[in-house]
Amino acid sequence: MAPGLEADPCSKCEEMLQPYLDRDLTDAERAEAEVHLDGCSYCRKRYRFEAELRRFVRQAVSEEMPPDLKRKLADLRTPLY
Amino acid sequence: MGETTPEAEPRKLAEEARDRVRFEEEALELADQVYRVARRLVSTREEAEDLMQETYSRAFRAWRSFQPGTNLRAWLLRILTNLNIDRGRRQQRSPDMQPLEEGDYFLYNKLEEAGRESNVEQERVDERLSQDDVVSALSEVPHDFRDVILLVDIGDFSYADAAQILEIPIGTVMSRLHRGRRILKSQLAEQAVNA
Repeated sequence: MAPGLEADPCSKCEEMLQPYLDRDLTDAERAEAEVHLDGCSYCRKRYRFEAELRRFVRQAVSEEMPPDLKRKLADLRTPLY
Repeated sequence: MGETTPEAEPRKLAEEARDRVRFEEEALELADQVYRVARRLVSTREEAEDLMQETYSRAFRAWRSFQPGTNLRAWLLRILTNLNIDRGRRQQRSPDMQPLEEGDYFLYNKLEEAGRESNVEQERVDERLSQDDVVSALSEVPHDFRDVILLVDIGDFSYADAAQILEIPIGTVMSRLHRGRRILKSQLAEQAVNA
């Protein structure tokens, strides 16, 4: 077996990891997910990796708006009389 | 009954002008956040600028159709994504059908191998992938999947907001997000191997 992660050793992980990372769980579901993470080293490892990868992707693809574009957008406003 | 006094009409116009100005100011304050998503929906900065100007032009014309108290950022993104579709700006290939389950773990394992000495996840990812790698990998994700990644991961929208913006069910948002992230990871794995 290759080092790292094996193929799907924890079905619970697939079910809750995505909405947990996206903060799209109810309070009760979130609490349940955290209990699971506390007791499952596979999910914990996967969670850290996914969270870090998501942060990195977000940072890498975020580009600031060119300053003159904001002025151009402001110029599109309806003129005041 | 229902008649307006001579004073009422100017007052109504003044109130409307005030509401419009407030709407325009609030929309402009959100421009940076809208741009971050727009920039990755299209290939170039110039296209993103055009799309932003068309979006704001349409939004300012249609300001009366915005319901105060609802999510203005989602409303703007809905205009933007529709304009992007209407103008056929997407140059996409069909979804890649490679075995994504393998790609998913492959990336983890490649990074794991690269950073075995380190316990810090951040170092592993940062060391193996450049900003250009990520931008390039994201651009390879087919648009239906990329749209939801951009809205949820870059735009910070909830599943419900993303569903409303793209006019698709929440379940579809979740499944596209799941599959889209796997495609992205598969693309990143290729970049990590070639690094």
